[in-house]
Amino acid sequence: MIWEPLKLSLLVVTVATLIIATLGLAFGLLLAKGRFHGQELLAAFFTLPLVLPPTVSGYYLIVLLGRHGLIGEPIYNLTGWSVAFTWQAAVIAAIVLALPLMVLSARAAIESVNSQFEIASYTLGKSWLATFFLITLPLARRGILAGVVLSFTRALGEFGATFMLAGNIPGKTQTMPLAIYEAVISGEDKRAQVLALILTGVSVAAVYFTSKLTKGAIKY
Amino acid sequence: MHVEIKKRLASDKSGSFTLDIAFDAGDGITILFGQSGSGKTTTLRAIAGIVTPDSGRIKIADEIYFDSVTGANLSIQRRRVGYVFQDYALFPHMTGEQNVAYGMKENGAGGASRLERARAMLAVFGIEHVRQRYPQNMSGGEQQRTALARALAADPALVLLDEPLSAVDAETRSRLIDEVVMAQKRVRIPFIYVTHNMAEAIRLGTQVVVLHEGSVKKIGQPSGVFHTLVDERQQE
Repeated sequence: MIWEPLKLSLLVVTVATLIIATLGLAFGLLLAKGRFHGQELLAAFFTLPLVLPPTVSGYYLIVLLGRHGLIGEPIYNLTGWSVAFTWQAAVIAAIVLALPLMVLSARAAIESVNSQFEIASYTLGKSWLATFFLITLPLARRGILAGVVLSFTRALGEFGATFMLAGNIPGKTQTMPLAIYEAVISGEDKRAQVLALILTGVSVAAVYFTSKLTKGAIKY
Repeated sequence: MHVEIKKRLASDKSGSFTLDIAFDAGDGITILFGQSGSGKTTTLRAIAGIVTPDSGRIKIADEIYFDSVTGANLSIQRRRVGYVFQDYALFPHMTGEQNVAYGMKENGAGGASRLERARAMLAVFGIEHVRQRYPQNMSGGEQQRTALARALAADPALVLLDEPLSAVDAETRSRLIDEVVMAQKRVRIPFIYVTHNMAEAIRLGTQVVVLHEGSVKKIGQPSGVFHTLVDERQQE
């Protein structure tokens, strides 16, 4: 009974983190290097889920993706399928709520790379893309990895928006945080305790890992 | 090569000033000499394609890098400019040999790999021992030599050096000056060398271009240029 939510959480968080890392890096790069109108507006939009109550973010997700949502309804009419109350909904909620941490970390990390190195790479004949992968990314990797770990933990702990969009269906959408909530209100103290300890352990490990990264334990 | 650049520059103190210079340079070392703020580094950056002049023309051998009349403007990558930065800008996550190999073309003469050729290049500068070393574990002189080796390894059409010896001690500087001269003699391409140190300019320069507040004040051989400069100062 403990394994079900643990397995589901691992699935949701793994998928979410992979997508967050990719999207966050792309948007972080866009915000760090791009010079376009509405750039800071876009940055603010990405930051929004950090400051909004998760239930509010969840509410907007229902408005968008629910069976009668702006995007959800046409999809349901076309395919008879709705993302609401599926494990994919938990993934979407985790992505939306944790992506800001990745975007902000990636942007800061990329901006912190001395542009002299990138210019030196251009003078040595390397394209913009080659320079990004050979110079910028390796030099920014600590901050980027820290962003991945932070968004991983944020996704792991996601509760409010997940509850709203995915519901709390044991074995289907009931992730660890939801299972703890359920265990507490139904008086299963032992179960709540074990689940809470597991989540605490993972989070502590993640914070330790991040502080090692940002403190510069990696030599060069 | 021929350089002709006009560019309006915003500066923090005196509002703005205009860089407006023209000079020719041949196979040899051309010194851009002047105080900080005279436009030396901006000139290098314009030749390399890092900044775009408002108008002018930059031509190396028969290749046009920039021409405001025809709209020609070659990208940084295609200019084949070896740039030695003031703080060297060696890639901190790469070893000496990786830095030198970075700009090399894949297939070299005789089928030697890029790293093999990079080692040979380091040997030319007498610093084979830094091949496995990261830049922060190198001395100032070793970093400077690695930076020069990296610039030359990419088979450049010309080399730009931005006060490359300002961060090393006097003794090392003296030895590095000879090495720069020797390197130029080996590759026989134009070197443009920025400095505000007269002794360096005299020992290195085939010709000196004296810049003052964005314009060329004098061009000529080092001995002649500096004699008149000194005379003028004494008269003032």
